[in-house]
Amino acid sequence: MNKPAEAIRTPSATPPLEIRFGQVGLAQVRIRTTDPGAILDELTGRVATAPHFFERTAVCLDLSALEKEPAAEELKAVVDAVSRAGMIAVGLAHGTATVDALARELDLPVLTYFRPQKSAPPVLPAADPQELTVPALLNHTPVRSGQRVYGRHRDLIVTNTVGAGAEVIADGCVHVYGALRGRAIAGARGDVSARVFCQEFHAELVSIAGVFRVFETIPPELAGKPVQAWLSGDDLRFARIGS
Amino acid sequence: MTEIIVVTSGKGGVGKTTTSASLACGLARRGKKVAVIDFDIGLRNLDLIMGCERRVVYDFVNVIHGDCMLKQALIKDKRFDNLFVLAASQTRDKDALTPEGVKRVLDELTADQFDYIICDSPAGIEKGAHLAMYFADRAVVVVNPEVSSVRDSDRILGLLASKTARAEAGNGGVKEHLLLTRYSPKRVATGEMMSVDDVKEILGLDIVGVVPESQDVLTASNAGTPVILNEASAASQAYEDAVSRLLGETKPLRFIEEPKKGFFARVFGG
Repeated sequence: MNKPAEAIRTPSATPPLEIRFGQVGLAQVRIRTTDPGAILDELTGRVATAPHFFERTAVCLDLSALEKEPAAEELKAVVDAVSRAGMIAVGLAHGTATVDALARELDLPVLTYFRPQKSAPPVLPAADPQELTVPALLNHTPVRSGQRVYGRHRDLIVTNTVGAGAEVIADGCVHVYGALRGRAIAGARGDVSARVFCQEFHAELVSIAGVFRVFETIPPELAGKPVQAWLSGDDLRFARIGS
Repeated sequence: MTEIIVVTSGKGGVGKTTTSASLACGLARRGKKVAVIDFDIGLRNLDLIMGCERRVVYDFVNVIHGDCMLKQALIKDKRFDNLFVLAASQTRDKDALTPEGVKRVLDELTADQFDYIICDSPAGIEKGAHLAMYFADRAVVVVNPEVSSVRDSDRILGLLASKTARAEAGNGGVKEHLLLTRYSPKRVATGEMMSVDDVKEILGLDIVGVVPESQDVLTASNAGTPVILNEASAASQAYEDAVSRLLGETKPLRFIEEPKKGFFARVFGG
């Protein structure tokens, strides 16, 4: 029920595969040198700051900051250095025709329209309990249709209503002390222990760590009631809070 | 002290212009000096509802472009000496409005000792609607008791809380009021229409007025006489109440229940 694609399958004719398009977060590494040693040193240092975050993480290489475009051999050495640091280069950022040619030679895709997020790349608290005491983002005004509130690296607490068509998002838990009529997205960066709580449940969509459920109709036992949602394995569960 | 009131809704056809005209007349009748501005550039309507369409020489865009003086473009109402209409341009589009130009006109009206400036917003959330609300002190959000209008109003309320001069300055934001129009107590009773309480609960705001669905509104629009001036009409009385509430008086809501039939009507099925 939480993976809509499965619901679409008909038992009589299940195709051997499905193609779905979606967006994923991707780190971009803009290199200023092709010296594999320097790159390995720098990346190893970065990885050490947040080992869980960077382990086997997919990165997109951006060559635009180099003084001249590298030869294929040089670039291969860079890709090796990246993987020795624990990350995996999965593509080249869109650039000149030479980049296209290099990508072909290294059998990597060219990723068009890489739009970096405005803020700095995340330096996640590496499970250091002291750093987890980031205060929750508090929102006391109604979240109106079309508005979006995001608690980056923390919980989000809304002490008012969330209108239909509004989005409340947090990397941690989402708490709504009012009616939730819009979308609630907890664990936006993949925290499977995040939960969604609300005082009055009328949500359009609830998502935790990417597992989501759309409510075309709200089950009568949940409608208008205080509800919490959590992830149990791959299942998104809902239950009334209290009685 | 001039107060700028935007009449807005997001959705079209809910009664923004009817409301702007009636509120402006209602305030003028109480002796306030009022200007009502049509921000719907390219779809000029307010002049029709106010019954001054044949007296439009210069318009809002002309003033902004400096083609004429503000005084030349303000059309004095035939019924009230203290009520002025600034018509929209019918030939231009919304890009003809600039924030600086709008501010200059509003500043000039303020300097001219107007008590109220009513900005009749176009539908939508584009430039015209944005500029109509941007300088407002208060907002009257016109909503019909149906789901799409309520959602659009919610969107507009979000914009009022973030995309206005008051919100950006952080001094309390725009004071918001809800005005329900085209309300039919009979259809509410049968569950076909959302009730006042439903709308109030979803939008979380108090109601400044409930205007019942009425034939008189269409008649009034076609005649160019704002419906508030047809005193026999329930819609007129409802707008009159809304004006009182805008001025800070407390009045119980009327026209939200189906009128009880009299004895004879019940007996003879009238």
